[in-house]
Amino acid sequence: MKRLAAALAAGALALGLLPGMAAAQEKKITVMTWNIPYFEEGFQVWVDEFKKLHPDFTVERIDMKGTELPTFYQTQVVAGTPPDIVDVQGGLWLEYASQGGLTDLTPFLERDKDYTGRLYPEVLANWEYEGKNYGVPLYVSKTLLFLNRKMMQEAGITKDPESFDEIMTAAEKMAGGEKTGLMTLNFDWLYWPLFAMNGVEFVNEAGTEAAFNTPETVALVQRLAEATQKGVIDKISWTGRWVEPNGAFAAGTVGMLHAHAPAYLWFQSKADWVNPETVGAINLPGGWSTPNSHALIMSKGTKWPEQSWDFMKIATSGAGAKAMGTGTNNLTGDRAVNEELMAYFAKEIPAVVPALETQFQNLDKLTGNWPFAKDAALKEAFYPELQAAVLGEKDVKEALDSAERKVNRVLSSR
Amino acid sequence: MAPRTDTAPAPKTRRRVLEGARTFASRKRTREIGLVWLFLAPSLAIFTIYRIVPLIWNGVLSFQFWSPYKPAEFAGLYHYEEMLFYDEAFWETLWNTLIFMASAPVGIALALGVALLVDTPIRGRNTYRTIVFMSYPVMTVAVGIIWQWLFNEKVGLINYVLISLGVIDQGIPFLESFTFALPAVIVASIWQVIGFYMIILLTGLQSIPPSLYEAAAIDGAGAVQRFRRITLPLIRPSLFLCFVVGIINSFTAFDLIFVMTGGGPGHATDLLVTYIYSTAFRLSKFDYAAAITVVNFLLFVALAFLANRLAGGEAGAVKPGG
Repeated sequence: MKRLAAALAAGALALGLLPGMAAAQEKKITVMTWNIPYFEEGFQVWVDEFKKLHPDFTVERIDMKGTELPTFYQTQVVAGTPPDIVDVQGGLWLEYASQGGLTDLTPFLERDKDYTGRLYPEVLANWEYEGKNYGVPLYVSKTLLFLNRKMMQEAGITKDPESFDEIMTAAEKMAGGEKTGLMTLNFDWLYWPLFAMNGVEFVNEAGTEAAFNTPETVALVQRLAEATQKGVIDKISWTGRWVEPNGAFAAGTVGMLHAHAPAYLWFQSKADWVNPETVGAINLPGGWSTPNSHALIMSKGTKWPEQSWDFMKIATSGAGAKAMGTGTNNLTGDRAVNEELMAYFAKEIPAVVPALETQFQNLDKLTGNWPFAKDAALKEAFYPELQAAVLGEKDVKEALDSAERKVNRVLSSR
Repeated sequence: MAPRTDTAPAPKTRRRVLEGARTFASRKRTREIGLVWLFLAPSLAIFTIYRIVPLIWNGVLSFQFWSPYKPAEFAGLYHYEEMLFYDEAFWETLWNTLIFMASAPVGIALALGVALLVDTPIRGRNTYRTIVFMSYPVMTVAVGIIWQWLFNEKVGLINYVLISLGVIDQGIPFLESFTFALPAVIVASIWQVIGFYMIILLTGLQSIPPSLYEAAAIDGAGAVQRFRRITLPLIRPSLFLCFVVGIINSFTAFDLIFVMTGGGPGHATDLLVTYIYSTAFRLSKFDYAAAITVVNFLLFVALAFLANRLAGGEAGAVKPGG
C-alpha cells in the first residue's frame, strides 16, 4: 500500500514538474499588438527577420483591441506570464513604468547606437520617464486640423485659420441646422492643443500642482461651452471616442476636425466625397499638437530580454518598420524609412500625404504628453469636470475648481 | 399489557441488541453524511475556489497598497477614507446603481401588465408571448447597439418619431446628456428583461386555480378586487423571483452600460460594477477597486437579506420532505 502511495505521489510530482520544465526550456517570445489583426504579412516579415538571428525561437502573437489590452496585459502580469513585448498607445505605459513593471531600455539604446541613431530623438523622448527610456516608436502620429473645404467655401471662408479666434470664427460661420463647425477627439489628452494655444498650462513647472485654474481658462472653457450649446462645436467632441467623431466628420456636416493623422484614412474609407481637394490638413495654429504614437515596450517579467530587444529593433527600424508603415499606412520612428514611406504614399495613396506631412513638423510644440506616473488618474480627475462644463451640466468656474481639487489630490497622493 | 412470552430476549440481551441497532444506525448515518459530503465536495470546492477565496482575497486587498508590479503594503483604512470622503464618482455611481435597481419594479409592473394581457384567451396569444420574450435571448451587446442607434440624436428612430409628432423640434442627444443618459440605458435594460419577467409571471398566473376567481365572482368581487385579493398574493413568489433578478441585473448590467455609454457622460451612467472595472483596469488601482467591491458586496448582501425578509424569510430554504 505504502509503495503504491509513494509511486502515485512520485507520478503526480513528475506530472506537475514536467510542464514547468518544458516551459522553462521553451524558447518563445510573445508579442502583443494593439488592434491590428489585419497586419499579418508585415508581422511575418518581423518573424522571418527575427528567425534569422534566433532560429531556435518561436514568436507568439496576440492582438487585442485597445479597450481590452490593458485588462489583458495586467491580468497576465499578475499571473506571472506577461507578454514579452507590448504595443502601447498614448500614456498607458507610464503607470506600468512608474511601478517598475517595464524593462528600462536605456542601456540597450546606448549600446546599439546604430539603431538609436535612426530614430527621431524628439519622438523617442515620448517614452522617457525619470531619465529612463521605456519604449521605442512603432508608429507615429500627432494631432492636426482637418478642414472640410466644401463647407468652408459655402461659408465664404477663403483663408485657413491661423489662431484660436479664427478657428472659432470659422466654426461659427459654418455651423447651422444639422451642420457643426468644429469637432475634436478627446481621449488621451488629444483636446489639449486647444488649451495650449491659449497659453493654458496643466500643472506648474515642478509638476506638483495644478496650474490650469486661471481666469483665462475660465473664459476659454466658457467659450467652448457656449459654442457647444449653440451647436458650433459638435457635442460628440466631448462624448465620443474614435468612431463617433470620425464618423460624424465623414458624414460631411462638420467643418473642422481636430484629430490625429490616422483619422484621415478612417473617414476617407467611409465617405466618397473625401479627397485632397475637399479635405485640407494643416497644423493647428502655433504648431501645437498632442502625440498619440504607438511604442513597443518590454515587460520586466520577460525571460528573454536580449531576444525581445532584437525583435523590437527589427519591428521598429529598416525593413520591419517599412512593413509596419505600408501594412498600416502610418509613419514610423525611423527617419530613413519615413523618406521611403512618403515616396510610397505619394505614389499609392496620395490623398493621405498632406496629413502625413504635418506629422514631423513642430516637434518642439508637442503637448499633452506629460510623463505623469498617474496619467490615467489625472485624466479621470480632469476630463469629467471639463466635460460637465462644456456640456452645460456644471458652471465653468465650479467645474474647474472641482477639477483643480481632484488633480491636486492625485498629484499629492502616493 | 401484553404477557411476556418465553421467546422475548432477556433484558441483558435486549440491551445488546438495542446497542447493536444504535451502532448500526449511527454507522449508517455517518456513511450517509459522508456520502452527502462526497456529493457536495466538488460543488463546494468550486464555490470555495471561485467565490470564497476571491472574496477573502478581495477583502485583504482593500486594506493594502497593491499593484501587479510591487510587493503589497498595509494601507489600513486609506482606500475606504478616500472612497467615503474624497471620491465624488463613487457616490455618483452608488446613486446610479440604486436608481437602476429601483427601476426593476417598473419593469416588473410592465411585465405583469403584458403577462395579464397574454394570459387572456385572445387569438394568437402564443405569438404575442413569443414576440415579447424574443428580446430576452438577444445578446446584451446587440441590445446595446440597437438602442444606441434608436437613441441617436441625428438618425435615431426615437428622435425621428418625437420630431414627427411635434413633441420636440430638434433631436435630443439622449446618450450624451447628463439628464437622459441613465434613463435611456434603463429603458434598454427593461426592454431586454421584460420578456423574462413576463414568462415568470405568466407561470405564476397560470398556477392560480380558476375556481378561486369563480368563487370570488359569485361572492360579488370586482375585477380590481380579484386582482388585489387573489392574483397579487398568489403570484408573490414569482414577483419575488423577478425582483431578485432585477436586483442582480442592476449589479451586473456591465455589458449594456459598456456598449451604450461607457459609463459617460462623466459618470452619469456608471454603475458600481463599471466603476470598479475602470478603476482597476484603466487606472490600475486594484486595491482601491477592491475597497469599492467590498461596499458593493455588502450592499448586495443587505438587499438580499431584505428581499428574503420581505418574501417571508425562507426564500430558497429546503424543507424536509418537501
